[in-house]
Amino acid sequence: MDSNLEASVRSAARSVETGYSAEVAQEIVDNCVDAGISLVASLPDDWIAHSIASFEQDERINHVPVNREESALGLCSGAFLAGTGSAALMGASGLMTLVYGITKINYTYEIPLFFLITHRGTFDDGAKFHVSNGLYLEDVMKSINLPYTIINSRDEMPMIGEAYHHSRKISRPTVAVLPKKLLQGKV
Amino acid sequence: MQYDEAIAYIASRWEDELVVTSAGTTSELWHAETGDTERVFYLEASMSLSSVFACGIAQGVGDKPVWVFSGDGAFCMNPGMLQVERQMNLPNLKHFMVSNRVYGSTSNVPLPGRVDNDYPAIARGFGIERVYSFGSMNELTATFDEAVLEEGHTFIHLEVEPMDYRGASPPMDGPEVKFRFGRYVERVTGNQIFTAPLDHD
Repeated sequence: MDSNLEASVRSAARSVETGYSAEVAQEIVDNCVDAGISLVASLPDDWIAHSIASFEQDERINHVPVNREESALGLCSGAFLAGTGSAALMGASGLMTLVYGITKINYTYEIPLFFLITHRGTFDDGAKFHVSNGLYLEDVMKSINLPYTIINSRDEMPMIGEAYHHSRKISRPTVAVLPKKLLQGKV
Repeated sequence: MQYDEAIAYIASRWEDELVVTSAGTTSELWHAETGDTERVFYLEASMSLSSVFACGIAQGVGDKPVWVFSGDGAFCMNPGMLQVERQMNLPNLKHFMVSNRVYGSTSNVPLPGRVDNDYPAIARGFGIERVYSFGSMNELTATFDEAVLEEGHTFIHLEVEPMDYRGASPPMDGPEVKFRFGRYVERVTGNQIFTAPLDHD
Protein backbone atom coordinates (compact mmCIF):
# COMPACT_ATOMS: atom_id res chain seq x y z
CA MET A 1 0.00 0.00 0.00
CA ASP A 2 1.19 3.51 -0.70
CA SER A 3 2.22 5.83 2.11
CA ASN A 4 0.13 8.67 3.50
CA LEU A 5 2.51 11.01 1.74
CA GLU A 6 2.01 9.37 -1.64
CA ALA A 7 -1.75 9.22 -1.16
CA SER A 8 -1.79 12.90 -0.27
CA VAL A 9 -0.14 13.79 -3.59
CA ARG A 10 -2.99 12.16 -5.48
CA SER A 11 -5.58 13.77 -3.24
CA ALA A 12 -4.00 17.19 -3.80
CA ALA A 13 -4.02 16.69 -7.56
CA ARG A 14 -7.70 15.82 -7.49
CA SER A 15 -8.43 18.84 -5.35
CA VAL A 16 -6.79 21.13 -7.90
CA GLU A 17 -8.82 19.50 -10.66
CA THR A 18 -12.00 20.29 -8.77
CA GLY A 19 -11.12 23.94 -8.37
CA TYR A 20 -9.23 24.33 -5.13
CA SER A 21 -6.06 26.36 -4.86
CA ALA A 22 -2.70 24.80 -4.06
CA GLU A 23 -1.31 28.26 -3.32
CA VAL A 24 -3.99 29.03 -0.75
CA ALA A 25 -3.47 25.64 0.88
CA GLN A 26 0.24 26.41 1.21
CA GLU A 27 -0.52 29.87 2.61
CA ILE A 28 -2.67 28.24 5.29
CA VAL A 29 0.20 25.92 6.19
CA ASP A 30 2.71 28.79 6.22
CA ASN A 31 0.51 30.93 8.45
CA CYS A 32 0.10 28.04 10.87
CA VAL A 33 3.85 27.43 10.99
CA ASP A 34 4.54 31.14 11.46
CA ALA A 35 2.11 31.12 14.39
CA GLY A 36 4.02 28.33 16.12
CA ILE A 37 1.88 25.38 15.14
CA SER A 38 3.79 22.14 14.60
CA LEU A 39 1.07 19.50 15.00
CA VAL A 40 -2.12 19.32 12.95
CA ALA A 41 -4.89 16.78 13.42
CA SER A 42 -7.25 16.60 10.50
CA LEU A 43 -10.50 15.13 9.25
CA PRO A 44 -11.58 15.49 5.66
CA ASP A 45 -13.90 17.89 3.95
CA ASP A 46 -13.69 18.20 0.18
CA TRP A 47 -12.95 21.91 0.46
CA ILE A 48 -9.82 21.34 2.54
CA ALA A 49 -8.47 18.25 0.82
CA HIS A 50 -5.54 20.22 -0.53
CA SER A 51 -4.87 21.82 2.83
CA ILE A 52 -4.76 18.39 4.42
CA ALA A 53 -2.36 17.22 1.72
CA SER A 54 -0.20 20.29 2.16
CA PHE A 55 0.07 19.69 5.91
CA GLU A 56 0.94 16.06 5.24
CA GLN A 57 3.67 17.02 2.81
CA ASP A 58 5.24 19.77 4.90
CA GLU A 59 8.18 18.61 6.99
CA ARG A 60 7.61 21.39 9.52
CA ILE A 61 4.32 19.81 10.55
CA ASN A 62 3.53 16.58 12.35
CA HIS A 63 0.28 15.81 10.57
CA VAL A 64 -2.00 13.26 12.25
CA PRO A 65 -5.08 12.16 10.31
CA VAL A 66 -7.74 11.15 12.82
CA ASN A 67 -11.02 9.34 12.35
CA ARG A 68 -13.33 11.24 14.63
CA GLU A 69 -13.44 14.94 15.46
CA GLU A 70 -13.27 14.29 19.18
CA SER A 71 -9.94 12.57 18.65
CA ALA A 72 -8.58 15.77 17.10
CA LEU A 73 -9.84 17.67 20.12
CA GLY A 74 -8.25 15.19 22.53
CA LEU A 75 -4.96 15.04 20.69
CA CYS A 76 -4.56 18.80 20.37
CA SER A 77 -5.62 19.40 23.97
CA GLY A 78 -2.99 16.95 25.17
CA ALA A 79 -0.42 18.50 22.87
CA PHE A 80 -0.94 21.83 24.63
CA LEU A 81 0.19 20.20 27.87
CA ALA A 82 3.41 19.15 26.21
CA GLY A 83 4.04 22.68 24.93
CA THR A 84 3.27 21.75 21.32
CA GLY A 85 1.37 24.27 19.21
CA SER A 86 -1.41 22.55 17.36
CA ALA A 87 -4.46 22.98 15.17
CA ALA A 88 -7.52 20.84 14.51
CA LEU A 89 -8.53 21.02 10.86
CA MET A 90 -12.00 19.80 9.89
CA GLY A 91 -15.25 20.54 8.18
CA ALA A 92 -17.98 22.63 9.72
CA SER A 93 -19.99 19.48 10.43
CA GLY A 94 -17.07 18.18 12.46
CA LEU A 95 -17.09 21.20 14.72
CA MET A 96 -20.84 20.77 15.17
CA THR A 97 -20.18 17.35 16.72
CA LEU A 98 -17.83 18.84 19.33
CA VAL A 99 -20.07 20.84 21.63
CA TYR A 100 -19.65 18.21 24.32
CA GLY A 101 -15.89 17.89 23.98
CA ILE A 102 -15.26 21.63 23.88
CA THR A 103 -17.45 22.42 26.84
CA LYS A 104 -16.47 19.39 28.91
CA ILE A 105 -12.73 19.27 28.36
CA ASN A 106 -11.56 22.64 27.09
CA TYR A 107 -13.88 24.77 29.18
CA THR A 108 -13.57 22.65 32.33
CA TYR A 109 -9.77 22.59 32.29
CA GLU A 110 -9.31 25.91 30.44
CA ILE A 111 -7.23 24.31 27.73
CA PRO A 112 -6.75 26.38 24.58
CA LEU A 113 -7.40 24.79 21.22
CA PHE A 114 -7.32 26.19 17.72
CA PHE A 115 -9.75 25.03 15.05
CA LEU A 116 -9.61 25.57 11.31
CA ILE A 117 -12.98 24.72 9.79
CA THR A 118 -14.80 25.13 6.50
CA HIS A 119 -17.61 27.66 6.15
CA ARG A 120 -20.13 25.14 4.92
CA GLY A 121 -23.73 25.94 4.19
CA THR A 122 -23.05 29.32 2.59
CA PHE A 123 -24.80 30.45 -0.60
CA ASP A 124 -21.95 29.14 -2.75
CA ASP A 125 -22.07 25.66 -1.18
CA GLY A 126 -23.67 23.27 -3.66
CA ALA A 127 -24.23 20.51 -1.14
CA LYS A 128 -27.81 20.30 0.09
CA PHE A 129 -26.73 18.23 3.07
CA HIS A 130 -24.74 21.19 4.41
CA VAL A 131 -27.79 23.42 4.66
CA SER A 132 -27.84 22.78 8.41
CA ASN A 133 -24.38 24.30 8.78
CA GLY A 134 -25.55 27.43 7.01
CA LEU A 135 -28.47 27.67 9.37
CA TYR A 136 -26.84 26.75 12.66
CA LEU A 137 -23.02 26.79 12.58
CA GLU A 138 -22.47 30.38 13.62
CA ASP A 139 -25.34 30.33 16.10
CA VAL A 140 -23.92 27.19 17.71
CA MET A 141 -20.48 28.77 18.06
CA LYS A 142 -22.05 31.90 19.57
CA SER A 143 -24.21 29.84 21.90
CA ILE A 144 -21.16 28.30 23.57
CA ASN A 145 -19.18 31.55 23.49
CA LEU A 146 -16.68 30.15 21.04
CA PRO A 147 -14.79 33.06 19.44
CA TYR A 148 -14.38 32.77 15.67
CA THR A 149 -13.22 34.76 12.71
CA ILE A 150 -14.04 34.25 9.05
CA ILE A 151 -11.03 34.56 6.74
CA ASN A 152 -12.72 36.39 3.90
CA SER A 153 -9.72 36.86 1.62
CA ARG A 154 -6.08 35.96 1.25
CA ASP A 155 -5.21 39.39 2.67
CA GLU A 156 -6.81 38.27 5.91
CA MET A 157 -4.79 35.05 6.16
CA PRO A 158 -2.68 36.44 9.05
CA MET A 159 -5.88 36.20 11.11
CA ILE A 160 -5.05 32.50 11.36
CA GLY A 161 -2.11 33.34 13.58
CA GLU A 162 -4.10 35.89 15.52
CA ALA A 163 -6.89 33.40 16.18
CA TYR A 164 -4.36 30.78 17.30
CA HIS A 165 -2.65 33.19 19.72
CA HIS A 166 -6.00 34.42 20.97
CA SER A 167 -6.82 30.88 22.09
CA ARG A 168 -3.62 30.85 24.16
CA LYS A 169 -4.41 34.27 25.56
CA ILE A 170 -7.90 33.38 26.75
CA SER A 171 -7.20 29.70 27.56
CA ARG A 172 -10.18 28.66 25.48
CA PRO A 173 -10.72 27.37 21.95
CA THR A 174 -10.98 29.71 18.99
CA VAL A 175 -11.96 29.08 15.39
CA ALA A 176 -10.78 30.36 12.03
CA VAL A 177 -13.42 29.74 9.39
CA LEU A 178 -12.37 29.10 5.79
CA PRO A 179 -14.89 30.04 3.06
CA LYS A 180 -15.11 28.16 -0.21
CA LYS A 181 -14.03 31.10 -2.38
CA LEU A 182 -10.94 31.59 -0.24
CA LEU A 183 -9.97 27.94 -0.61
CA GLN A 184 -10.54 28.23 -4.35
CA GLY A 185 -8.25 31.26 -4.51
CA LYS A 186 -11.03 33.52 -5.80
CA VAL A 187 -10.86 36.13 -3.03
CA MET B 1 -8.79 -9.50 39.22
CA GLN B 2 -10.07 -6.81 41.57
CA TYR B 3 -10.08 -3.29 40.14
CA ASP B 4 -8.61 -1.60 43.21
CA GLU B 5 -5.89 -4.22 43.65
CA ALA B 6 -4.75 -3.79 40.07
CA ILE B 7 -4.62 -0.01 40.38
CA ALA B 8 -2.82 -0.26 43.73
CA TYR B 9 -0.18 -2.54 42.23
CA ILE B 10 0.39 -0.33 39.19
CA ALA B 11 0.62 2.70 41.46
CA SER B 12 3.20 0.88 43.59
CA ARG B 13 5.37 0.45 40.48
CA TRP B 14 5.01 4.09 39.44
CA GLU B 15 8.23 6.07 39.27
CA ASP B 16 8.54 9.18 37.12
CA GLU B 17 6.03 8.47 34.37
CA LEU B 18 3.42 11.07 33.46
CA VAL B 19 -0.05 9.66 34.08
CA VAL B 20 -3.43 10.46 32.54
CA THR B 21 -6.48 8.97 34.21
CA SER B 22 -9.95 8.73 32.77
CA ALA B 23 -13.42 9.50 34.03
CA GLY B 24 -14.62 8.26 37.36
CA THR B 25 -13.25 5.26 39.17
CA THR B 26 -9.74 5.23 37.74
CA SER B 27 -9.16 8.88 38.62
CA GLU B 28 -10.62 8.40 42.08
CA LEU B 29 -8.67 5.22 42.82
CA TRP B 30 -5.39 6.62 41.52
CA HIS B 31 -5.76 9.76 43.60
CA ALA B 32 -6.78 7.76 46.67
CA GLU B 33 -3.77 5.50 46.19
CA THR B 34 -1.12 8.11 45.37
CA GLY B 35 -2.45 11.48 46.51
CA ASP B 36 -0.45 12.98 43.66
CA THR B 37 -1.46 16.35 42.28
CA GLU B 38 1.38 17.12 39.87
CA ARG B 39 2.36 14.19 37.71
CA VAL B 40 -1.19 13.10 36.97
CA PHE B 41 -3.72 14.71 34.70
CA TYR B 42 -7.05 13.62 36.14
CA LEU B 43 -9.13 13.83 32.96
CA GLU B 44 -12.39 13.18 34.70
CA ALA B 45 -14.35 14.61 31.79
CA SER B 46 -12.64 12.27 29.37
CA MET B 47 -15.55 10.41 27.67
CA SER B 48 -13.32 8.23 25.45
CA LEU B 49 -10.60 10.80 24.90
CA SER B 50 -8.03 9.97 27.58
CA SER B 51 -5.78 7.95 25.29
CA VAL B 52 -5.63 10.46 22.43
CA PHE B 53 -5.17 13.21 25.03
CA ALA B 54 -2.19 11.22 26.31
CA CYS B 55 -0.91 10.82 22.75
CA GLY B 56 -0.84 14.60 22.51
CA ILE B 57 1.28 14.74 25.63
CA ALA B 58 3.51 11.81 24.72
CA GLN B 59 4.42 13.18 21.29
CA GLY B 60 5.85 16.31 22.86
CA VAL B 61 7.82 15.12 25.88
CA GLY B 62 10.63 13.25 24.20
CA ASP B 63 11.23 9.81 25.63
CA LYS B 64 9.54 10.50 28.95
CA PRO B 65 7.11 7.63 29.57
CA VAL B 66 3.40 8.37 29.64
CA TRP B 67 0.88 6.00 31.19
CA VAL B 68 -2.78 6.42 30.33
CA PHE B 69 -5.85 4.69 31.68
CA SER B 70 -9.10 4.22 29.84
CA GLY B 71 -12.16 2.12 30.51
CA ASP B 72 -13.96 -0.27 28.21
CA GLY B 73 -17.07 1.90 28.33
CA ALA B 74 -15.08 4.78 26.90
CA PHE B 75 -13.25 2.50 24.51
CA CYS B 76 -16.50 1.29 22.98
CA MET B 77 -17.64 4.86 22.44
CA ASN B 78 -14.62 5.65 20.30
CA PRO B 79 -12.60 2.57 19.29
CA GLY B 80 -11.16 4.55 16.40
CA MET B 81 -8.92 6.32 18.89
CA LEU B 82 -6.87 3.15 18.97
CA GLN B 83 -6.24 3.44 15.23
CA VAL B 84 -4.87 6.93 15.79
CA GLU B 85 -2.73 5.58 18.61
CA ARG B 86 -1.40 2.85 16.36
CA GLN B 87 -0.68 5.30 13.58
CA MET B 88 1.30 7.54 15.95
CA ASN B 89 3.01 4.49 17.47
CA LEU B 90 4.62 6.49 20.25
CA PRO B 91 7.27 4.36 21.95
CA ASN B 92 6.82 6.14 25.28
CA LEU B 93 3.06 5.47 25.53
CA LYS B 94 1.56 2.70 27.65
CA HIS B 95 -2.23 2.41 27.45
CA PHE B 96 -3.93 0.54 30.30
CA MET B 97 -7.47 -0.34 29.27
CA VAL B 98 -9.49 -1.34 32.32
CA SER B 99 -12.31 -3.66 31.31
CA ASN B 100 -15.07 -4.35 33.77
CA ARG B 101 -17.81 -4.81 31.17
CA VAL B 102 -19.96 -2.10 32.75
CA TYR B 103 -20.14 1.67 32.86
CA GLY B 104 -18.42 1.75 36.21
CA SER B 105 -18.85 5.46 36.88
CA THR B 106 -22.58 5.33 36.39
CA SER B 107 -23.77 2.63 38.76
CA ASN B 108 -22.31 -0.23 36.75
CA VAL B 109 -24.85 -0.06 33.96
CA PRO B 110 -24.10 -3.04 31.65
CA LEU B 111 -22.06 -2.34 28.54
CA PRO B 112 -23.30 -3.28 25.04
CA GLY B 113 -21.32 -6.24 23.75
CA ARG B 114 -20.06 -6.97 27.23
CA VAL B 115 -19.96 -10.74 26.73
CA ASP B 116 -18.26 -10.86 23.38
CA ASN B 117 -15.99 -7.82 23.18
CA ASP B 118 -12.41 -9.07 22.72
CA TYR B 119 -10.31 -5.99 23.34
CA PRO B 120 -6.85 -7.52 22.83
CA ALA B 121 -8.06 -8.93 19.49
CA ILE B 122 -9.33 -5.50 18.49
CA ALA B 123 -5.98 -3.95 19.40
CA ARG B 124 -4.11 -6.58 17.40
CA GLY B 125 -6.56 -6.11 14.56
CA PHE B 126 -5.64 -2.45 14.44
CA GLY B 127 -2.01 -3.47 14.08
CA ILE B 128 -0.72 -2.84 17.57
CA GLU B 129 2.24 -5.12 18.10
CA ARG B 130 2.69 -5.02 21.85
CA VAL B 131 -0.60 -6.19 23.32
CA TYR B 132 -0.89 -7.73 26.79
CA SER B 133 -3.94 -9.04 28.57
CA PHE B 134 -4.06 -9.67 32.30
CA GLY B 135 -6.96 -11.28 34.11
CA SER B 136 -5.30 -11.97 37.43
CA MET B 137 -2.87 -10.30 39.81
CA ASN B 138 -0.43 -13.15 39.27
CA GLU B 139 -0.37 -12.48 35.53
CA LEU B 140 -0.08 -8.72 36.03
CA THR B 141 2.76 -8.87 38.53
CA ALA B 142 4.66 -11.59 36.66
CA THR B 143 4.71 -9.76 33.34
CA PHE B 144 4.54 -6.13 34.42
CA ASP B 145 8.19 -5.37 33.70
CA GLU B 146 8.04 -6.74 30.18
CA ALA B 147 4.74 -5.12 29.35
CA VAL B 148 5.18 -1.75 30.97
CA LEU B 149 8.85 -0.99 31.47
CA GLU B 150 10.17 -2.09 28.09
CA GLU B 151 10.10 0.49 25.33
CA GLY B 152 7.37 0.49 22.71
CA HIS B 153 3.80 1.59 22.31
CA THR B 154 1.82 -0.93 24.32
CA PHE B 155 -1.85 -1.73 24.88
CA ILE B 156 -2.44 -3.44 28.22
CA HIS B 157 -5.85 -4.96 28.80
CA LEU B 158 -6.79 -5.38 32.48
CA GLU B 159 -9.85 -7.60 32.98
CA VAL B 160 -11.29 -6.68 36.38
CA GLU B 161 -14.44 -7.27 38.36
CA PRO B 162 -16.93 -4.43 38.58
CA MET B 163 -16.70 -2.68 41.93
CA ASP B 164 -19.06 -0.48 43.84
CA TYR B 165 -16.55 2.28 44.46
CA ARG B 166 -17.87 5.45 46.00
CA GLY B 167 -14.73 7.48 46.48
CA ALA B 168 -14.36 11.16 45.93
CA SER B 169 -13.00 12.94 42.90
CA PRO B 170 -9.53 14.47 43.25
CA PRO B 171 -10.14 17.74 45.11
CA MET B 172 -9.12 20.11 42.34
CA ASP B 173 -10.98 22.15 39.79
CA GLY B 174 -10.00 21.82 36.13
CA PRO B 175 -7.64 24.79 35.91
CA GLU B 176 -5.72 23.62 38.99
CA VAL B 177 -5.23 20.20 37.41
CA LYS B 178 -4.01 21.92 34.25
CA PHE B 179 -1.57 24.25 35.97
CA ARG B 180 -0.15 21.70 38.41
CA PHE B 181 0.42 19.13 35.66
CA GLY B 182 1.61 21.68 33.13
CA ARG B 183 4.06 23.32 35.52
CA TYR B 184 5.47 19.88 36.32
CA VAL B 185 5.90 19.10 32.61
CA GLU B 186 7.60 22.45 32.15
CA ARG B 187 10.04 21.67 34.98
CA VAL B 188 10.98 18.18 33.88
CA THR B 189 11.07 18.71 30.12
CA GLY B 190 12.00 22.36 29.72
CA ASN B 191 9.07 22.76 27.34
CA GLN B 192 7.24 26.08 27.50
CA ILE B 193 3.53 25.61 28.02
CA PHE B 194 2.18 28.68 29.77
CA THR B 195 4.61 31.23 28.42
CA ALA B 196 3.23 31.93 24.97
CA PRO B 197 4.34 35.42 23.97
CA LEU B 198 1.51 37.90 24.32
CA ASP B 199 1.26 41.26 22.65
CA HIS B 200 0.32 44.00 25.11
CA ASP B 201 -0.69 46.51 22.46
